[in-house]
Amino acid sequence: MAEVDLAKKVADRYLKREVLGEGTYGVVYKAIDTKTGQTVAIKKIRLGKQKEGVNFTALREIKLLKELKDPNIIELIDAFPHKGNLHLVFEFMETDLEAVIRDRNIFLSPADIKSYLQMTLKGLAYCHKKWVLHRDMKPNNLLIGPNGQLKLADFGLARIFGSPDRRFTHQVFARWYRAPELLFGTKQYGSGVDVWAAACIFAELLLRRPFLQGSSDIDQLGKIFAAFGTPTSSQWPDMVFLPDYVEYQYVPAPTLRSMFPMASDDALDLLSKMFTYDPKARISVQQALEHRYFSSAPLPTAPDKLPRPAPKRESKNSDFDPHEGPTVLSPPRKSRRVMPQPDGFDGGEIRQPAGENTSRNEPVPMSVDFSIFGAKPPNRPTINSADRTHLKRKLDLEFQHPEESMR
Amino acid sequence: MAANFWTSSHFKQLLDQEEVDVVNPLDKGKGITLEDFKLIKMHMANYIGKLATYVKVRQRVVATAVTYMRRVYTRKSMVEYDPRLVAPTCLYLASKAEESTVQARLLVFYIKKQIPDDKYKYEIKDILEMEMKILEAINYYLVVFHPYRSLSQLLQDAGLNDITMTQLTWGIVNDTYKMDLILVHPPHLIALACIYIASVLRDKDTTSWFEELRVDMNVVKNISMEILDFYENHHKPINEDRISAAANAALSKLALKP
Ligand SMILES: Nc1ncnc2c1ncn2[C@@H]1O[C@H](COP(=O)(O)OP(=O)(O)OP(=O)(O)O)[C@@H](O)[C@H]1O
Ligand SMILES: [Mg+2]
Repeated sequence: MAEVDLAKKVADRYLKREVLGEGTYGVVYKAIDTKTGQTVAIKKIRLGKQKEGVNFTALREIKLLKELKDPNIIELIDAFPHKGNLHLVFEFMETDLEAVIRDRNIFLSPADIKSYLQMTLKGLAYCHKKWVLHRDMKPNNLLIGPNGQLKLADFGLARIFGSPDRRFTHQVFARWYRAPELLFGTKQYGSGVDVWAAACIFAELLLRRPFLQGSSDIDQLGKIFAAFGTPTSSQWPDMVFLPDYVEYQYVPAPTLRSMFPMASDDALDLLSKMFTYDPKARISVQQALEHRYFSSAPLPTAPDKLPRPAPKRESKNSDFDPHEGPTVLSPPRKSRRVMPQPDGFDGGEIRQPAGENTSRNEPVPMSVDFSIFGAKPPNRPTINSADRTHLKRKLDLEFQHPEESMR
Repeated sequence: MAANFWTSSHFKQLLDQEEVDVVNPLDKGKGITLEDFKLIKMHMANYIGKLATYVKVRQRVVATAVTYMRRVYTRKSMVEYDPRLVAPTCLYLASKAEESTVQARLLVFYIKKQIPDDKYKYEIKDILEMEMKILEAINYYLVVFHPYRSLSQLLQDAGLNDITMTQLTWGIVNDTYKMDLILVHPPHLIALACIYIASVLRDKDTTSWFEELRVDMNVVKNISMEILDFYENHHKPINEDRISAAANAALSKLALKP
């Protein structure tokens, strides 16, 4: 049988080393893949409350990462059960962008910043192309590999987004990276939320500290308005209709230049486009990548030339002490993990099989209202045998050269 | 946008009918024929649908669960993976994957309450154990594309999105999950085949609309024929009791539970 003895797999294939950190749903170990010699990170998914089975967040991460293969997305190499726990094998990443930003010994040149931002946006563009929203963009979820490659990780909050009327929870993102529409409680958001978060990361790279550090959701909006001015309804027409919209006292915007004195004009232009209030007017990730900031001098630093923190730990000694891991760079558990409400159709469907009319139907048109059927499928249609004969005869009719009608 | 499906794991996993129609040697050893194999899968698809009405999940979850179940049996034997446990577990897993979680406790409760046959009774721990095995059997690929979304968009595009046509096509699509079509064909082609059948049945002239689509109409027609053959072989409206009896007879060959 092709069955592998899974119990032996972890022992046979992966040599466990030190603990790298602990996430919301399990411990992460460093390990060596004896089959390839590659260093990997193994996330052991804690079995949740008994009777809950495979952790929901972990399952979501698996589901999406199995579909996402890109140089700027963390690779899920393998998954296997071992002693009743699910283990996820990821490529090993040396550090993360938060550690880079916080490290006072590191000088980030404009070209370095450009490179880190470009890799972030490339990973994000790939997600959006695949209709996946990351929804948890922040420096600590941007891992950096041995050759300086930045990769998006932590897809536990990510979701496939479908039609534009999708209703989502707005309780996503760490607060400092949350877009204003989320803070106003929107349930119909799109890829713009990831763009806003990427803008916060861009600003953080420039400032070397988190840019908009609100202490509550209200305060977060206050910080945003203090930086960019209170949005007017001509700037953002849909704002007043958002569920949690409240009128804020008008504050004028300081110039971007005054907040980012060292940034180039191109950098500021891109930043302002990413920080656009109206999500409909906000620049897309793809457009951001095409912005002249990335083609003008200085060109982005090659990933392997990027400055990185000194290795966290000399891992030459192989004796393994699970209690003595390197310092975990991320802040302690946050209370931000929330389950989205179950909703209507999920996305993930092909939406333009006919090919030709892509632009006509973009964005996805709302489908027929199936709520008439409630949760259940409608009664099965009845096709009697007379119909069948009739149908079969008709089906046999030749179609007139379908190829010729292709434009 | 279509790139979404064409670059998906679902697309890469599509199989030929001949690959789907292979009875696992272990099952064959127990006397399971290809007919038995298909019948059991159909019965389990019905079973999943039935359970879904108790726990109240969307049709999409049912469709995903049935797809998982069918994928499992392209790789695993029924001897080792008892369909009567695999079916509810697939529903459990699909409900999570489709973001409308159903508690295992609830599933077990309804199975005990609603299914008289003792051979279908399983405990929560059985489902959770099987969940891990199914994940492994389907190689952790959880994203499944279904014809439903294309269906509504295509109907709209063809101007056929009235209640009758919507219900009819929707119902035919549901029936396709009693077959292995979702393992073999891209979902939008299945949707088109269902529209094709429905429009011919209702005397809607869609010929020119179909001609304008950039799809291989021969494939659509073949799928339509397969669906019609299926209806023919299983007496429309399908008699679920008969399928159930026949499937259970086939299942007893496997001699799974004492
Ligand atoms: N691929 C990896 N390579 C090296 N270290 C990793 C890798 N993935 C995770 N880690 C380490 O393990 C820690 C836990 O990771 P995990 O993604 O589970 O949670 P987290 O990001 O810390 O928290 P949260 O889940 O709240 O975002 C990380 O902070 C990081 O230090
Ligand atoms: Mg993280």
